[in-house]
Amino acid sequence: MGTRALVATFGFDERRVLPALRLLAYDELVLLAGRDSVKAPGFERLRALEPGLRAVPVDPFDLRACLDAATATLRDLRRRGHPARVSVSGGTKILAAAALLAAFQEGAEAWYCDPEPVRLPVLHGVRIVDGLSDTARDVADFLRAPTTMDRLVARVAHCGFDGRATRAAVRELVGHGLAELGLDGGKPVVRPTRILTTYRKHFPRPGKA
Amino acid sequence: MYHSDHAKSREARAKVIEFTRGLGVHATAVELDDAFNLLEIAERMRADVRRERSAGATVRFNIAGGTRLMSSAALLACILEGIPATYVHDDTYEEIPLPLLRIAYGERLTPKQREVLGFLVKNRERSFTETALAKALGVHKATMNHHVRELGMRGAIERVRDPDDGRALLIRAAPGMELLLG
Repeated sequence: MGTRALVATFGFDERRVLPALRLLAYDELVLLAGRDSVKAPGFERLRALEPGLRAVPVDPFDLRACLDAATATLRDLRRRGHPARVSVSGGTKILAAAALLAAFQEGAEAWYCDPEPVRLPVLHGVRIVDGLSDTARDVADFLRAPTTMDRLVARVAHCGFDGRATRAAVRELVGHGLAELGLDGGKPVVRPTRILTTYRKHFPRPGKA
Repeated sequence: MYHSDHAKSREARAKVIEFTRGLGVHATAVELDDAFNLLEIAERMRADVRRERSAGATVRFNIAGGTRLMSSAALLACILEGIPATYVHDDTYEEIPLPLLRIAYGERLTPKQREVLGFLVKNRERSFTETALAKALGVHKATMNHHVRELGMRGAIERVRDPDDGRALLIRAAPGMELLLG
């Protein structure tokens, strides 16, 4: 088995993180922590215990930034072949929610240790995005701005998808709240929703993440 | 609206109910018995979401309020049930939708895998070898071996050495899988 990594959310109080460090075996420790947190005495005390720990500084009140950082950390560990567990019992509510969401997005085992260890029901390797068909993910990649259905079908056609497959993919995206359908001058128009626009990188084309 | 039994939380509940009444919106408050039990809270929220949906309501969840644990439980309920979740920022009041799909997370297992896992969850106090599990569920050993391998790869089950027979492996549901199945 390769190096096991533990990714833990951290605020200022190291006692929120210590139960996870004691209970979850790891070879590599990564802390997702606020920029002020990494200058705090609690962080220094943790570093004294774990000199090899790596901190990923985040703005702990910016959910999107926390989610991006947590997802990037998990993807990086996966690329390096290090199976990661996530502990979400430290840090702000926003940081914990983002790390939990990232764990589900990336199919990484997640725990809440405060202080008793509670394993959260993430399935290993099962990513949220895998709930979308490959065609829908390809179409989502093309859907950057409101566009008529005809134009979208034409643009996607060179990927080998016919009109029927593209329309089915659009319906799938609409069903998941990632696209909206409307009419403009009597023509069907497809619009990406705010979720797709904001989190595009969390819905990558197949084979891109 | 979920809240703890803390005095400040009850006070906030009264204010929210007064506010929503002013808007002509009906609000139901749920006081959580144990605001420190994540799985229990998530299960409660999930059951309420299911009930509302089966009554025809469109549900979305603001997961920003309450403690970190309550917020995490709400997010879990949203992921497991596949409902839209929003984080309304405490300071900026910005509504931040979360990138979830409207698909129940447990459906990522096949019906047969869910059946095997459900059986193991229901019989947590008992131990099963793969053969005993195949017999109990009436499937061929090879078929059960396939399901067990798939569930093992996803971390949904654990295999432990049988203390009475060093060669045999006992299978049990991994912790937390009750919530996956709902």
